[in-house]
Amino acid sequence: MIVKPRAGDHLVVGKYTGKVIVGVGLLMVVPLLTSIAYHEWDTALDFVISIMACLVFGFGAQILSRTDRDLGWSHGLVVAAGSWVWATLLGCLPLYLSGHEGSYLNAMFDVMSGYTTTGLYLLQDLDHIANGLNMWRHLLTYAGGQGIVVIALTFLFKGTAGAYKVYVGEGKDERLLPNVVQTARAIWLVSLTWLVLGTVALSGVGLALGQAPGRAFLHGLWIFMGGWSTGGFAPQSYNTVWFHSLAYEVIAAVVFIAGSFNFALHWAMWTGNRKEIVRNIEVLSFTITLTLMTLVATFALAKAGVYPTAMTLFRKVFYQLASGHTTTGFSTIYSRAFVTQWGPIGMLAVTVVMAIGASACSTAGGIKGIRIGVITKAFIQDIRRMISPESAVVCSRYHHIRDIALDDAMVRTVMTITLCYLTTYMITALIGVAYGYDLSSSAFEAVSAVSNTGLSCGVTSPAMPDFLKVVYIFGMWLGRLEFMSVFALAGYLFSMARGR
Amino acid sequence: MAGHHTAVRFATLLLIVGLSAPAIPAFAQAPSPNSPDSIGLVEQPKKYDGKTVEFTGEAIGEVMVRGEYAWIHINDDAYYAKNVEEGAPLGGYNSGMAVWVPAGITSRIMHYGDYQHEGDVVTVRGVFNAACAEHGGDMDIHAEELVVDVQGRHVVDEVKPWKLWLAIALSLIAALLYAMHRSGEASRTLGPVSRRR
Repeated sequence: MIVKPRAGDHLVVGKYTGKVIVGVGLLMVVPLLTSIAYHEWDTALDFVISIMACLVFGFGAQILSRTDRDLGWSHGLVVAAGSWVWATLLGCLPLYLSGHEGSYLNAMFDVMSGYTTTGLYLLQDLDHIANGLNMWRHLLTYAGGQGIVVIALTFLFKGTAGAYKVYVGEGKDERLLPNVVQTARAIWLVSLTWLVLGTVALSGVGLALGQAPGRAFLHGLWIFMGGWSTGGFAPQSYNTVWFHSLAYEVIAAVVFIAGSFNFALHWAMWTGNRKEIVRNIEVLSFTITLTLMTLVATFALAKAGVYPTAMTLFRKVFYQLASGHTTTGFSTIYSRAFVTQWGPIGMLAVTVVMAIGASACSTAGGIKGIRIGVITKAFIQDIRRMISPESAVVCSRYHHIRDIALDDAMVRTVMTITLCYLTTYMITALIGVAYGYDLSSSAFEAVSAVSNTGLSCGVTSPAMPDFLKVVYIFGMWLGRLEFMSVFALAGYLFSMARGR
Repeated sequence: MAGHHTAVRFATLLLIVGLSAPAIPAFAQAPSPNSPDSIGLVEQPKKYDGKTVEFTGEAIGEVMVRGEYAWIHINDDAYYAKNVEEGAPLGGYNSGMAVWVPAGITSRIMHYGDYQHEGDVVTVRGVFNAACAEHGGDMDIHAEELVVDVQGRHVVDEVKPWKLWLAIALSLIAALLYAMHRSGEASRTLGPVSRRR
């Protein structure tokens, strides 16, 4: 029997969703101040309107949902998934009001892409947008990378026991410290330290490359935010090829690879466990698959003679592959060059690394290295069982912060989520094919959206069919929240309609 | 059972929508001053690789001087003559080419396009590289000549009065709701204390 949610359940969901949306509104103060600093008055007004809309919704929801009940598991998942929908609906107001979006749906696409750290965008005339609006694009991807719920946990939840359930609902399940709010703050400590170091390094190189100090700082900050969050937004339409600099590419790559690592790994390193980086299953998995696919793409492009020297070939291949594997989406080639220069094998290599993605409990998307590692270990374990005597007990373990024994329940969970990703990739790609896009382009773009990467081969554009935009929005949301929260929200809505 | 039927209905609907989808809409790209334009160069890199091209468009962003040469970026998209802030209709993504020019001649460019500027419209003549060996495989144009065709200008994005009124109205409602929320929270905090008494 399906149990219909009671009024008390709605109140809990409404109250905490309201809190998260207030957090989104407060986050917009940063781009508002940026616009004021640069005398972008019309854009500043867009942010005032948007902040107030968030506060009206947030306070309104909390007034209508007064309750002392704490969150249960299902509430946590529903709040996490639901908050992302409301945060998208309201967070896209500044983009829509700017006049650079073709429709409200396009603006929603961009904001969902930002929150989910995807990096695909439909905004038009990016090279003429206000600094405040660019700040918002990058801030929402930086915030989305940390998890918008993590932000609310840090500042607004005041340590409720149920907060952990929302935190897990947002696709993060590492508890670095005993208390979830302390964990959220630890994530911020690591992220903000990297923010300062990364911004200083990128801004310094930007200055050396001939940028004016103000632009060097803003570009350094935004590229850091886009890289660390593995979002891939950039302030110019040329993305990171704008800088034409090996140094800039190397620093950006260091930032986005670091951003794609598990926060638990960061915390282990932070607290002195330096050896973890060479033992961790996710790092090993990432290194192996990146190396393999880089070799495949390098071979294909060398055969096609696309790049004139070995150095330029390696530089282009490694950057796009690392960017794809970390699900960042920075690129130093034109989108259509994947089709016109890289060809099917090159595109396939990028599609594979995007599908795998980077580490769990990080800002990255995709199936995740830990799942690939566990599936590989389970496969090897099964082979060992087959060739061992029947009476032999075959055990397998992997290392992630500590040694963990592999068991069938764990493998089943990993396989379920992996299957969810593969099915979503396939359905999204098939819908693209139904619209007339060729299979390799459609698969490339579908995997890019669902794995929250953001590399494009030209399918994503303001002129793409609206239904496909909706499919990509849904795919980005599903991929980022790793299905369970979205399934919980769907179950909640279903039980409201059909439950007793 | 009802859930199963709903899922089947949803899947059928999705299939019908997908299969009845119209063909990819043709993108209404605004005319470029170039032939080939930047999109044509990206679409057919082999055809134009090593050829001399003339390329016209808006100087965008900034000049980045690297010794005797400098990087500029020229957009030949729908906004090269007029941008969205000035009232140009939306015409797709930005599109352009990176151009490597002698640093000295970039001083002719007075305005680079951004939110507050429409950049100078310039024409360069140079060699197109599909993957430049000198610049890490970047797609670029190496030009020695640069002519400013149209001077750029300062752009003011006027404040729209309706936005001002909307901002004021929403601010008042938000302030009212905040006061109600705070008073509600305060009464809830005091509630148990008064009950304990």
